[in-house]
Amino acid sequence: MKKLKMGFCLLLAALTTASLSACGGNSQSSDSTGSAGELNIFVWTEYVPDSVIEQFEEETGIKVNVSTYSSNEDMLAKVKSEGEGTYDIVQPTDYMVEQMISQGLLQELDQSKLTNLSNIGESYLNPSYDPGNVYSVPYQGGAAAIAVNTSKVPSGTITSYADLFDSQYANSMVVLDDFRAIIGMAAKSLGYSMSETDPDKLAEISERLLSLKDNIKLYDSDSPKSALISGDCYLGVIWSAEIALAMDENPDIEIVYPSEGAYLFMDNWCVTKGAKNYDQAMEFINYMLKPETAQMVMQEYPYLNPNTTALEGMEDDYKNNTAKNPPAEDIAKGEYIKNLDTDTLAIYDQMWTELKK
Amino acid sequence: MVMKTKKGAAISIATMVSPVTLWMAFFIAIPLLYVAVMSFCGTDENYNVVFRLTLENYRRLLDPSYLQIYMQSILIAFLTTAFCILLGYPFAFLIARTKSRKKALLYMLVIIPFWTNSLIRIYGWRTFLSASGMLNTLLMKLNLIDTQIDFLYNIGTTVFGMVYCLFPFMILPLYTAIEKLDINLLEASSDLGARGASTFFHIILPLTASGIFSGSIMVFIPALGYFFVADILGGGNSDVIGNLIERQFQSGNNWPLGAALSMILIGITLLLVKLYQKCGGDMESLGV
Amino acid sequence: MVRTQKRKLKKGLGVGYCALIYLFLFLPIAVIITNSFNATTSKPYMTWKGFTFDWYIKLFDNSALLDSFGNTILIAVCSTVLATCIGTLAAVGMYRYRFRGKGVIDALLYIPVVIPEIVLGIALLTLFAKTSIPRGILSLVLAHTTFSIPFVVFNIRARLTGYDNSVEEASMDLGAGKVETFFRITVPILAPAIGGGALLAFTLSIDDVIISYFTNGQTKTFPLKVMESIKSGVSPDVNALSTLILAGTTLLVILTQSNLFKRRK
Repeated sequence: MKKLKMGFCLLLAALTTASLSACGGNSQSSDSTGSAGELNIFVWTEYVPDSVIEQFEEETGIKVNVSTYSSNEDMLAKVKSEGEGTYDIVQPTDYMVEQMISQGLLQELDQSKLTNLSNIGESYLNPSYDPGNVYSVPYQGGAAAIAVNTSKVPSGTITSYADLFDSQYANSMVVLDDFRAIIGMAAKSLGYSMSETDPDKLAEISERLLSLKDNIKLYDSDSPKSALISGDCYLGVIWSAEIALAMDENPDIEIVYPSEGAYLFMDNWCVTKGAKNYDQAMEFINYMLKPETAQMVMQEYPYLNPNTTALEGMEDDYKNNTAKNPPAEDIAKGEYIKNLDTDTLAIYDQMWTELKK
Repeated sequence: MVMKTKKGAAISIATMVSPVTLWMAFFIAIPLLYVAVMSFCGTDENYNVVFRLTLENYRRLLDPSYLQIYMQSILIAFLTTAFCILLGYPFAFLIARTKSRKKALLYMLVIIPFWTNSLIRIYGWRTFLSASGMLNTLLMKLNLIDTQIDFLYNIGTTVFGMVYCLFPFMILPLYTAIEKLDINLLEASSDLGARGASTFFHIILPLTASGIFSGSIMVFIPALGYFFVADILGGGNSDVIGNLIERQFQSGNNWPLGAALSMILIGITLLLVKLYQKCGGDMESLGV
Repeated sequence: MVRTQKRKLKKGLGVGYCALIYLFLFLPIAVIITNSFNATTSKPYMTWKGFTFDWYIKLFDNSALLDSFGNTILIAVCSTVLATCIGTLAAVGMYRYRFRGKGVIDALLYIPVVIPEIVLGIALLTLFAKTSIPRGILSLVLAHTTFSIPFVVFNIRARLTGYDNSVEEASMDLGAGKVETFFRITVPILAPAIGGGALLAFTLSIDDVIISYFTNGQTKTFPLKVMESIKSGVSPDVNALSTLILAGTTLLVILTQSNLFKRRK
């Protein structure tokens, strides 16, 4: 084994020289353009288009390093364990913004630099989790909606989260690998709040959740559309924009907003405490608020976009697509989740482990 | 004179051995002790680790749902090891005893795939086995099936992926053990009238058992921790202990609980290694 | 007659069985190579949209991917050098002298070899978090050195069994100092084992996923880049880079180990 690895390593040595010289070349080129500095952003997977980042780099000369995460809790864990200054920008969801503020992990935004904030619709500003948008600016949002492949399940059969618990859909579903969303959905199907704390009700929800176990084939928060497109799953409880993208690939797929009211979320731009590149971060956030940028984002990741100026400028078939532009009444019916205390969180964690065992 | 030598030796020992001692103390002993201590700690409402002596984490580990995942993980590791032995033994035997001139090449061909990153190869299987993947397409084209077969996202695919990842760790010790077999012994056995099966069970198997033991250790233990295989091919439905630990250190934000879970894994490892040594296994043969 | 037929059948079965195992080992590689030529541009890059060489060109525009590869090599080189130095000294020192606590060092060396990688990964994560060692190239080099040292030590130790001390003694008798003897006598004798250990360390480092996953901070190695791209569908340029690495390695093995294809000795 040792001997045989020899050749491998020799080649890598050769490649090293090649790649290091290539990288050297790269860093030089970025140095010449990179006088404007660097920016480390930590964002959701499949959420900020590469094309937007590249355009920002070209226009400003700031080099952007992108890291991605799959859940708010992952992001929180990383931000806390990496120490201050590792990431400049993070993208927490509503409830997580509140939590990060209370933990002192965010710093205030310089409102004078956010000249494009006026593009954001009135209803999306001044949210309850961050009154006055002191720490956060909304980016995109949406719902955890239901995806149905109508070649397997006739259109109209499924109208609610509760319908998904039917045992006839065994081994058919892709669901978000996100305990708040899936436990929330089970709670909603029983008519409870998504942030239920009552132990008796939680026990009931846990039992309900277990009856979903046999129906779930795959947990995936990053790119759940893949399993729908490939045909590995024909039902899904996934992000609305992922359904929209799956619909573009396969016309048999349709979106259903559950009649109980959907799990809603709004993700935000925030700057971490101790960020090394505060000015670049503000420039980036302001850039993302431009209608043109927002439109580029919507073309690639069609989430509910609070940038109303941008939305008005979109084509009609975008505005009329209920997956890309969720109807106002479905949004009104939906529910945003709240933070939980550690004891309740421990129960949620246990419910989740029970489901995944 | 004697004093001087002793002093000289002491200096030599110090210069040669202190780097490794310090390094291993700082990067192995201290972190593991810290994990052990952490497993008795709790968290505050901001998920920070706070030092207060508690058995709470260990109590939670005894929860039936956790116990079921340990059992599932041990089952997965056991099946992986069994399949590696069953598939690998005849294969290692054939390539180790071949009279072909291409023996070295045959051995080499076992290693070559492992120069490609393991994640991307596992993902390759996922693409291949997916409902609209190459295998289903091929089977449909050949009219062998009418509807797509569900291969992915169950405990079977997790085991499959583990076998794939860990296969060479079984093959290499088996190959070494089998190659060492003395051909004269086998001939003597058959001269004495022993039949194939009898020669195998009485001569070959005992003589190559060391290879099976070290291969099993090198397959079984990692299989308990390979969370990415369970993620990519198991779809989150067939978690191993590694997934539980990963979850507590990432999305779960409960490091003490993750630390306690790690202690379980350390315990299982120690137990197996002790068992291995009892069976006469050589520790050094695990390292190379 | 029957006997030769039987033997032929047996041989045929054997060849067939081996072929199946090789198919099992190489099939994902075939998938990777195929996908590197896939003309599709839409995620998750699963459907075949025709043949193209484009990805091999686009690959060189993907600076994040190339950087990750550069990081992988840089970390592997640094950790290999460190692990080889520390490991060589340790192996020789532990072979030559008896001292208190040797058993403890031995036990510490076995830990990274047998323990599941995830445990070492989280242990190092907690250490780095507690000591505020910045996560990045530095922490990755430290982590990789840690799991590489034992493999270097064991490799050299295997060679040391039956090592003849008399040459060293002769050297000292002739007036060479300890340091000089070590570098001019001991190291050259052990060179093949040191080299073997270094290569093993290098290989372990460039392929490591799990320990890097917990200790990387913002720095990406190639395996971590692959892990990230798996989330949204591995794009063909990642396949293309993998194919290039594999092709290059194989080519080099063929060139350097041409005896593989000749008759074995």
